[in-house]
Amino acid sequence: MSLSTAPEIDRAQVTRELASTDIPWELIVWNDPVNLMSYVSYVFQSYFGYSETKASQLMMQVHQDGKSSVAHGNKEKMEAHAVAMHGFGLWATVQKGGKRG
Amino acid sequence: MAKSFIAGRRGITGYLEVPERDLLRKLFADVITMLEPDTPAHEDPLAALLGLDMDVSVPSDPALLRLLPDAVKDDAGAALEFRQLTERSLRESKIGALRAASLDLDKDKLVLDPEAAKMWSMALNDVRLVLAERLDIRDETDADRVHRVQDWGDADDVESYLSLVYNFVSWLQESLVQAVLARMKSGR
Repeated sequence: MSLSTAPEIDRAQVTRELASTDIPWELIVWNDPVNLMSYVSYVFQSYFGYSETKASQLMMQVHQDGKSSVAHGNKEKMEAHAVAMHGFGLWATVQKGGKRG
Repeated sequence: MAKSFIAGRRGITGYLEVPERDLLRKLFADVITMLEPDTPAHEDPLAALLGLDMDVSVPSDPALLRLLPDAVKDDAGAALEFRQLTERSLRESKIGALRAASLDLDKDKLVLDPEAAKMWSMALNDVRLVLAERLDIRDETDADRVHRVQDWGDADDVESYLSLVYNFVSWLQESLVQAVLARMKSGR
């Protein structure tokens, strides 16, 4: 006797669905001449939990290259990060692409 | 004169003179006024609860646009949709930080825990973004031009006065962030 009355799930289907919601998006933080370098580094450390070294590398990239891709993941997560960055007063945008992470 | 923020055993402490408190209180209040939504919360209680605002549009004031920037580049439709879902709560969280910082000004000595220090750094940053827009700071050269105005004796026009205020708020924010970073580094 089977304990489960649930219909058999097509495993291939499940895999496809997970993959489609997991298309990597990225969060870009843009440079501006107002935000202090120390503050940007503080935001990266305190909000994302990045190490001092990683936060400082990303901050320098924003400062020197004009922008940096600071986080990757699904769309909803990147959108939540963008709102948080705007809360801190950093200009961030979300876009499709970037590396998986 | 204000003193730099210091990371100590009891938290991050700072000291401001009365005129400096009055100035900051006014600056925080000005930014709060800018951020207060023109339209009341959505009548639909669920929409209001979720912070939805279907009537929202891109701010026409460039300083307000700096506080509430587009979250999607080169796609006005997607950026607007994002605003409808998030702008009202973003305004509210910014106003919350500005109000919290303003309330702290009522005490003689500033003693900030990590959360209060975060509110303060956000509030000071928003004030600087607004001042920077009024001062037309677009690049590092503009920032240097403003930074060179250091003597209150030169405050003879609006631009030099705003530059001095901007430099004071920048100094205060830098001092606060350095204290917060020192505290994080020491693991307290």
